[in-house]
Amino acid sequence: MAFLEVKNIKKSFGKNTVLKNIGFSLEKGEVLAIIGSSGSGKTTLLRCVNFLETPEKGVIYVGGKLLFDADDPMIKRESEIRRNRLHFGMVFQQFNLFPQYTVFDNLVLAPKLLAKDQIRSRGSYRGVASFKQAQASIISEAEQLLEKVGLTEKRDSYPCDLSGGQQQRVAIARALALHPDILCFDEPTSALDPELTGEVLNVIKGLKSSDSTMIVVTHEIGFARAVADKIIFMDNGVIEEEGTPDEVIGNPKSQRTREFLARFNRFGD
Amino acid sequence: MEQFWNVTLQLLGGFMQNCELFGVTLLAALPLGLIVAFGSMSRFFPIKAVCRTLVWIIRGTPLLLQLFVVYYIPPMMTNGDFRFGDRMTAAIIAFIINYAAYFSEVYRGGIESIPKGQYEAGYVLGMKKRQIFFKVVFMQVIKRIIPPMSNEIITLVKDTSLARIILVEEILKFADDFRVQGLIWPVFYTGVFFLLFCGLLTLLFRFIEKKLDYYKV
Ligand SMILES: Nc1ncnc2c1ncn2[C@@H]1O[C@H](COP(=O)(O)OP(=O)(O)OP(=O)(O)O)[C@@H](O)[C@H]1O
Ligand SMILES: [Mg+2]
Repeated sequence: MAFLEVKNIKKSFGKNTVLKNIGFSLEKGEVLAIIGSSGSGKTTLLRCVNFLETPEKGVIYVGGKLLFDADDPMIKRESEIRRNRLHFGMVFQQFNLFPQYTVFDNLVLAPKLLAKDQIRSRGSYRGVASFKQAQASIISEAEQLLEKVGLTEKRDSYPCDLSGGQQQRVAIARALALHPDILCFDEPTSALDPELTGEVLNVIKGLKSSDSTMIVVTHEIGFARAVADKIIFMDNGVIEEEGTPDEVIGNPKSQRTREFLARFNRFGD
Repeated sequence: MEQFWNVTLQLLGGFMQNCELFGVTLLAALPLGLIVAFGSMSRFFPIKAVCRTLVWIIRGTPLLLQLFVVYYIPPMMTNGDFRFGDRMTAAIIAFIINYAAYFSEVYRGGIESIPKGQYEAGYVLGMKKRQIFFKVVFMQVIKRIIPPMSNEIITLVKDTSLARIILVEEILKFADDFRVQGLIWPVFYTGVFFLLFCGLLTLLFRFIEKKLDYYKV
């Protein structure tokens, strides 16, 4: 069994079936890129994986552990979902930073709350039993993360004073602060001016070299080809084609994939 | 001159009643309004229906009528066995209910204006619903509702004089007593009290808005 196993996911909104039996798997340290035309269900798939949507069918395993089973009501309880969610991190197209907190507080808010909860309920957070100690390591990790995304000097700024690219880098650091097993990105550069996409894509590339497992939904075909170990082309709620970047982008088998890529080549990417 | 001080003291005494009504209403209706707002947004239909209907009735009928109802109806229904303490108590109860309804709509507007993405960001960071509300959403709501809330609060200052309809001894009642004695100017003079009070509140709200200027929502 692969590190991440997503099987038979079906999700509808009303009569509109958006995901039709989707499944894929991913090994630890691998990067999966999901491409596909608008409305094909990429965002919905990512949201299902992060439990922001509840699929009608399907199962999700991480590291051999069953995190979601549409047929098991016990696993859909809020507390259970909240715990299982921590295996995943999510970076949104619109950043969704918390505007009233500084960059630094955006990073430490959730880890501190989590540390407090876990120390109370199970006696330790990431192997540390005292909240003071946990807090100290949360703070020093946040500082390291800011350095990693190149925003140390913006530590005390508010999100409204940052560029879109900087905000997205903060959002990435914020997601990393909780040590997710798998980090998901939903078109992380789509809301950015073209000249700002590079800085965000570079941060993601940097994460790949530090062995993070990632799922990236993107329209940046060149980027997908460069970082992904595996590419999925989605069309109309199904996986039309999957394989290595060289297979899917270099030598697509499906007619739909070829048409999709041809549109990109014509307009450049 | 002595007459001026006399009138001022009398009116000030009356205005204290307005201030009491204002203060108690505010202190009670601000939290109560938040609870009603949660009720109006509840996913449990009966609670939502009850809260929305109540808010509709309270906002759709005159405050004067509500004052009458609270003051006169309970003793009538119980043959005089039960009434809400004194007139002031009745006024306070009517005002709290009325303003809780108005405040709840301000809160609801503020809460519903927060983008879904803020909640989702909280969820994917493993936060609980309650933590998301209090640590993430609440301060953004506060910032958004300060302008509409200041409007309601300033209206409340002026509305306190309506308590006169059930003979609460508030400032306009004293002014009217002077008028009956043939002294007209105190009637206009009451305006000064309201103007000063509302002016102070306006300054206070502007100060709070400035204080929250460091972030944008
Ligand atoms: N909350 C929702 N309610 C109803 N329909 C929805 C909802 N979310 C998505 N859909 C529908 O599901 C389909 C897939 O949407 P989705 O956002 O997953 O596509 P996408 O591949 O991410 O597209 P894009 O590239 O434009 O982001 C669309 O037809 C959309 O209208
Ligand atoms: Mg999308």
